[in-house]
Parts: sequence; structure tokens; C-alpha cells
Amino acid sequence: MRLSDTILGILLLALAGWVWWLTTFFPAFPGQDYGPNLFPRILAAGIGICAVLLVLRGLRSGGGMMAVDGWVRNPRQLLSFLAIPAGAVFYLLVSEPLGFIPTAFLLLLVLFLWFGTRLVVALPVAAGMTLLVNWFFGGLMRVPLPRGLLDPFL
Amino acid sequence: MDAVMQAFALVFDPFVLGVIALSAIFGMFVGAMPGLTATMATALLVPVTFFMPPVPALGAIVTATAMAIFAGDIPAAMLRMPGTPASAAYADESYAMTQRGQLTLNLGVNLVFSVGGGLVGVAVLIACAPALAEVAINFSSYEYFWLACLGLTCAVFMTNADPVKGFLSLFIGLLLATVGIDPAAGYPRFTFGDVDLMSGINFIPTMIGMFAVSELMRGAISLRGGEAKIVAQQVGNIFRGVGAVFRPYWVNFLRGSAIGTAIGALPGAGADIAAWISYAVSKRFSKEPEKFGTGHVEGIVDSTSANNSALGSAWIPALVFGIPGDSITAIVIGVLYMKGMNPGPTVFNENPQLIYSVFLIFLLANVIMLPLGWAAIKGARQILRAPRNILLPVILLFCLVGSFAMTNSLYGASLMLVMGLLGWFLEEHGIPVAPLILGLVLGEMLEQTFVQSMIKSDGVALAFFSRPIAGTLGVATIAIWAVMLLRALRRRPAVAAPA
Repeated sequence: MRLSDTILGILLLALAGWVWWLTTFFPAFPGQDYGPNLFPRILAAGIGICAVLLVLRGLRSGGGMMAVDGWVRNPRQLLSFLAIPAGAVFYLLVSEPLGFIPTAFLLLLVLFLWFGTRLVVALPVAAGMTLLVNWFFGGLMRVPLPRGLLDPFL
Repeated sequence: MDAVMQAFALVFDPFVLGVIALSAIFGMFVGAMPGLTATMATALLVPVTFFMPPVPALGAIVTATAMAIFAGDIPAAMLRMPGTPASAAYADESYAMTQRGQLTLNLGVNLVFSVGGGLVGVAVLIACAPALAEVAINFSSYEYFWLACLGLTCAVFMTNADPVKGFLSLFIGLLLATVGIDPAAGYPRFTFGDVDLMSGINFIPTMIGMFAVSELMRGAISLRGGEAKIVAQQVGNIFRGVGAVFRPYWVNFLRGSAIGTAIGALPGAGADIAAWISYAVSKRFSKEPEKFGTGHVEGIVDSTSANNSALGSAWIPALVFGIPGDSITAIVIGVLYMKGMNPGPTVFNENPQLIYSVFLIFLLANVIMLPLGWAAIKGARQILRAPRNILLPVILLFCLVGSFAMTNSLYGASLMLVMGLLGWFLEEHGIPVAPLILGLVLGEMLEQTFVQSMIKSDGVALAFFSRPIAGTLGVATIAIWAVMLLRALRRRPAVAAPA
């Protein structure tokens, strides 16, 4: 999915304007001409200039507002694509209450199955990888992975 | 000399050697898998090396990247799919050689000249970095400001992308760098009252997101497309015939290594650009340019030497100035800061044993590349058959846990997801991510030196040119800006014409 240069430029122009507006709330320091708002403003201006160039270029070349690749229309491929961020969101939401081990196991198992691995392979690999990562990061590297449900047993 | 002995003791330690061996295998594997890049290997390694002392941590990164850049040549020859972007320049040529039945020779040439090019890059690193550090010790905020500018400009200039989009990416990266406590007045900017954002945009989760998660998303689309056909060709003795290639093409080897070293040392351009340029140069100056593209070994000699030599020299600006030579050294700079050895000329005086250790590991990595590369070539069929539908979810889990480990909170993992989506969106619109990453790394230095210089000079812009080195760097930077502007102006009618 690709936005046209015009739409992209307008979005970026809005971003630049928003950043500039935010810098107006930064405090000024008396006797200090170059405060915290100077650099972000220069950058906002830079983004704004590039955005205007994009809009001009988009208007000159014409064409549609948006181009859609073939895979977006193929539901299987679209879902495969979304599965990666969705998996990350799932991890973010449930890893604290559920704990690392169940979350990682479920995440791997569902993704394996979705991507076409047979259940006989997916189950042991998901379990093995989960325990391996837990041992390596949680045990060896002492990363405080959430314990969640399994807290009484660990 | 004392420091050199210390470095030997640091490197030839069983734990360090073990880490180097493991990361070499890891690098070979990641490099040989199409879709997994050397930068991704480095980004995924950082959380693992986070808890190690500096020498094994840097050793892991050096070794893994050197291996990955070579290993990218293997699927390029067997599947016409470059394993890393650095092999893309000559993937077609390599595959054409394979079709002509020269797979063995091609892999041998790739391995031997990768090692050779790598050693040239390291030699230049060893020769130049300490000397440059002595010059750099007298630098003031003016010089550093211009160096940062030059580095960022090169990042845009070298991407080959549309300059407008290159600058956009750069500005977005610099803007992300302003999130958090500002370096001049200590005021929290763009934090929206969030405690995590006060510490700034953590750099490693950003890298993992932009280079790994966005790649996973792209990979997931094509996952059900069926496995690629691996060329069923026996790989014989890969070292046979390499000598016969060296004799007529030793000039190409030296030229490729020299170009690679120079481009690697330039801030912002790395192994992939080195390979493209040296391949083009090779064709331009070849006696038989008509053979290029038909499975001719000449261009491969140039470019396979170039991409490995760029790796070593990319560390020159990283170690001496704290300015990354490519996206891999951008990560390295992050690691150096985490280990408390802030890059810059002083590190050469304060911790020379660490610098010498890096040099040693580089040499070691290139030497063990010969046997390991041989093993990887022999086992390539198995590596390439590794099921990607299992690999992708596992990498996602690594990304999540690795990012979590960098902040010990879900902030790291959330940041990774957001940056993965942003990176995918930008690349989808032809906006390169490398300038953004350099902007994020260099942003604080650029702002700090800029504001410091402005305060020192009381707002007089000419002061930026008042010192000889600063003046030269400033003029060079402005000259590149002028070239880019001219190029953009000249391109305009060409773009307008078809409309």
C-alpha cells in the first residue's frame, strides 16, 4: 500500500506543523538565545520544506492518491503480513499477566501453525524454543522476564 | 607495547574465543539466509552481548558481521537471492556463473577475495585510526559539528535514493533524537509526561524494529509462496582455480578493496554501496565489459573484495569520532556507549588495549572465515533448506525479548513494534531508513555541538569556519550540498517530461 507523494507530503507537513506547535510550549531561558526549541524548529522546518517539495512533485506528476499492491487483496497474504505486528501486540498485552513462558509458547505455536507447520512439528519446537529463550535470557542473562501464572512454580 | 600484550590476553581467553566461534556460526547462518541481513544479525546480537564485558561483546559483533557479509554470497550464487544487501550488486553475475557450471569456482573466489578484502580493510583501520585520533584530540565543538554534518550528508548522498526522501528520513531521525531531556538546558522535550520517553528513544529497540521486524513483515507475505529451487550442483574443491583468477585480476582485487575501504570509511555508506560502486567501476574499466552479466568473474572479484573491506574501515570514523561509517557501526557506537567506552579520540589513550583487541578480533575473524566459510559452503544446502515458517516466528520472539532486555520493561518491546511499523511504512514509500538511524545516533552530538558553538560565538555563523580543520570540513560539507542541489535541479526536467 503506497500513498501518493501528495498525500505523503501533506501528512508530513502536518507532522512538521505539530512539532513546531509543540515547541511553542518550551520555556525560554532569559539571556540564553539558543534554547531547547531551536533545534526541533530547524528540523520541523526541514521536514516542512521536503514535504512541500513532495506535494509539488505529486501534483505535477498526477496519478492516483494511493497504490495498492497485489498482496493486500489476497486475504491470506494480508493476514500473514498482519500476523507479525499482531503477534507483537499479543505479547505486549498478555506477557505481564500471563507470564513469559505461556505467552511465548502460544505466540510461537499459533504463528507456526498459521505459516503452515504441521502440529507434530510445531508443538515440540514451540515448547523447546520457549524454554531455550527463557533459559538463555531469563537464566543466563538475568533479564527479568515476567513470571505471571507460573510464579508459584518457578 | 604493553597495551598490545594486554589485548592479546583479553582476546585469547577461552570465553572470548567461544563467543567469537558461536557468533561466527550465527553470522554465517544469518548471512546465508535470504531476507536476514548483517545489520539484523548485529541488532539481534546486541541484547545477547549486553551483559558481557566489552571485548567479547565487540568480538561477537565484528565476527558475526564479517561472516554474514561473506555468507550473503552463497545464496546469491545458488538461488540468485542475495543473502544480504551487500551481495545484491553481483547476485546476477554469480548466478550466471552457476548456470555455466562454475558454482565451485564462484564460491571459492567469493570466499578467498572476501577474506583478502577484509584483511585490507582491517590493515587500513589499524594504520589510520590511531593516527587520526591524534589529530582529532584537538577538535572543538566546531569540528565535531561539521563532522556530524558531513556524516549525515554523506548518509543521504550515498543512498542513491531521491535526495528529498533521503533528507526527510534524516530529519525524522534527528527529530526522534530530540525526544527526552535536551542536552543544553535539561528540559524534557516531546515526552508527553511519559517517564520512559524522558530517557529518549532507545536506540537498539529502534534498530531491531527497523531492520528486523519490518523485514519479518515483508518476509511473511511471501512465506507461503513455496520453497525456492536450489541449484543441484555438486560443490567441489572450492580453492581450485582461485589462483588462476588472482593472476589476471589482482589489480581488480586491489582496486575493489581500495574502493571498499574508502567508501566504508565515509560516514553513512557501507558494504552494500561499496559493492555496487566497485562493480560499476570494474565494468567501466574492464577490457571486456561486454562479458559482464554473462557469468564473468572479473566484476565479482572487485565487488566481493569491496564489501568485506568496507566492514573494517567503517570502524575508523566510529572509533575516532563517534560517527558511524554504516548502519552496523551505528549499532556498535550504541554498544560502546553502553560499555562506558565513549567513542572518540580519548578512547585511544584511555583504553588502548580495547582498541587493539578490536583490531585483533578483526584479524582473527577474517582468518577463521576461511575454514568456516568452507564449512558453510559445504553445508549450504542444509542451511538454505531451514524452514522459514519456523524461523520467522522464532526471530519475532528474539526481537521481542531482545528489545525487552534493553530497557527491562515493555517500553523497549513497544518501541520496537512502533519502529518496525514506521520502518516498513518509510521503505514502502521509497524513504531509506539508514539516514534515519544515523540521525538518531548523531542527533544529540549535532545539537550539542551546534548549540555550544552558537553560544561560544554569540551567534556569529562565521565562527564555524574560524579554525582551519573546521573550515575545511565546513566547505566540504557545503560543497556536497551544492552538488546535491545541482543534481536535484538537473533532474527536474527529466522527471517532468513524461508527465
